[in-house]
Amino acid sequence: MTGGSRVMLLPVFALVLVSGVLGIQLAHGGGSFAPLRPADPCAVRDVTSQVGGIDGLTERLVLLGLDGAACRLHVSREALTLELAQAGTPSDADIEALRAGLLSAVQRMKAADTLPRASDLVDEALDSTDLNSFVKAAIRALPDSVVDTALKTDDVLTRTIDDLDLRTLLANVDDEQSLTQQLDAAVTQAVKDSLTARLRDLL
Amino acid sequence: MRRAVAPLLTLTVALVLADSAVVTLALPDILVNLHTTVGQVAWVLIAFNLVLAIVAVPTAVVFGRAQPRLLTAAGIAVFAASSAWCAWAGSIEVLVAARCLQALGGAFALIGCLELLVAVYDERRGVATWITAGVLGTAVGPVVGGLLTQAFSWQAIFVVQVPCAVLAVPAALAVHAPPERAPDRHRPALRPNLALALLSAALTAALFLLVLLLVEGWRRSPATAALTVSVVPVAALAARPLARLLRPPTEVEVASGCFLIAGGLVGLAILPSADLAWTVAPQALVGLGLGLTMDRLTSSAMQLRLPRVRHAAWTIGARHIGVVLGLAILTPVFTANLRDAQVPAQEAITSLVLDAPLQPQDKVAVAHALGDELTSQQGRIPDLHRAFATLEVEPEARPATARLERDLDGQLERAATRAFRDSFLLAAGLALLALLVAVLPRRRSTP
Repeated sequence: MTGGSRVMLLPVFALVLVSGVLGIQLAHGGGSFAPLRPADPCAVRDVTSQVGGIDGLTERLVLLGLDGAACRLHVSREALTLELAQAGTPSDADIEALRAGLLSAVQRMKAADTLPRASDLVDEALDSTDLNSFVKAAIRALPDSVVDTALKTDDVLTRTIDDLDLRTLLANVDDEQSLTQQLDAAVTQAVKDSLTARLRDLL
Repeated sequence: MRRAVAPLLTLTVALVLADSAVVTLALPDILVNLHTTVGQVAWVLIAFNLVLAIVAVPTAVVFGRAQPRLLTAAGIAVFAASSAWCAWAGSIEVLVAARCLQALGGAFALIGCLELLVAVYDERRGVATWITAGVLGTAVGPVVGGLLTQAFSWQAIFVVQVPCAVLAVPAALAVHAPPERAPDRHRPALRPNLALALLSAALTAALFLLVLLLVEGWRRSPATAALTVSVVPVAALAARPLARLLRPPTEVEVASGCFLIAGGLVGLAILPSADLAWTVAPQALVGLGLGLTMDRLTSSAMQLRLPRVRHAAWTIGARHIGVVLGLAILTPVFTANLRDAQVPAQEAITSLVLDAPLQPQDKVAVAHALGDELTSQQGRIPDLHRAFATLEVEPEARPATARLERDLDGQLERAATRAFRDSFLLAAGLALLALLVAVLPRRRSTP
């Protein structure tokens, strides 16, 4: 072996080693090992819930509503969630975006036919109200078709969202009892308003 | 006693140079134990290396005017006493002060051991032993430190140094070596010393940052991290047989070593996952590069230059100022990147919690627990296990929460790995600068 070729042996060996190691790493995703990037909140996202009934509906509405609000505010859903969780008082813009997001979530679910019928939720809703037991029994006795004709889920939800004090709701997230009380009051009022409006339409 | 003299002096050299990085794996423990910050704890490393770099050459000047054995013994004694002081330090300020004193004693011990080893052996063997002990000490230091921290505590690192150093005091006194009174004939070797400084800065990244990534970022135990970074010294041992086999000229060997270190650091910057196995090959490149460069550059800086101790001191100064430079450049970069990584990490965690297959009330409970943990760990990588350990969920939700915990840990590992990337790349740049210094054509002297 000549002196010149011997001089090159170690640099060539080093080059092969480095290229090999870096090549294998890049081929296995080296360089792109980074935290999950938040999805575009304006893109349509399928949301699911592990529970059914009112809890499941609420969860899906909140998830879609967050997407809608984040899309309006031009931030990610995650950034908005963290802001709402960490900020002392949410801004007016946040509250308005959240309300608009929730309302558009109702419309999206209605369009996708994923809103449950009112009759599917009546039993669960009655369980958590403090209505007289005779009134509860009377309502339960109504045929599903009557309930569904009298109450439209999207209408009740829209009225509930319009009526909700979202600032207080966000402040009550840590207090399950206050949260439930506030939601129950808003839903009950929305049901009353919806029934009144329905009666007015019929008359 | 006579037989033990040379091994004890060699051990002292390895000990002092190991101290440059021995506490690297203990830093997370010191951070918690002494209630300090990442920026402050870095001074446990910086202080030692800075003082050693500053006092090395003046120490060598003193050695030309006094009995080496007395100065060496005194230096080792100061080193031993200050090691004990380090072990008993109850605050970061006291620990940093003790480390400064340790470096001062260490400088006298290092320079003196060179003189005594040359007296015990001969010029060639003495210098070679001194250089090899230094390289091995530097490479093995973090491994030994990590194992001691895991087995006992960070204080154990300093406690074990005391008897070793105490035994070396009579060994130093037993060697009769006259002070080297050679005239100051040669200027310091600029090129090898500059390359040594740049490479030391780059190697700081390999050891200091990788250890922090393993222990703080990936939540591995100090022992696991120690075993993982042991790849570097093992690979460094393979460098000499390789060089003997290929017999390259010194400049080519140094340039190839610098390239291997740079390649290894780029490899650490682009790890494909948080699996320890992925760190092995890049570390092997760094270790191989270390073995090809450090002793060659130290020899080049000292070769045929008088007085010997003065030029040895320049190499010590260059190496340790390089470590300080590395820490000074890289620590702010990676702490800033770590801070910047918090937002994407929190968003990734939020995304996974929102979409987790859990009941709504369990999601709220998880969010609460995680929120508390994230708030209490501002500036550091949070330990999510604590949040999940305190979580009260229904038994049927436990598999899903366990899966969520794994996924969230994965996101934190990703964020931490990404946060260290720029520092590793910067360090690779320093190694390439060292390569440039090594391969730049020499200026021809005019006839």
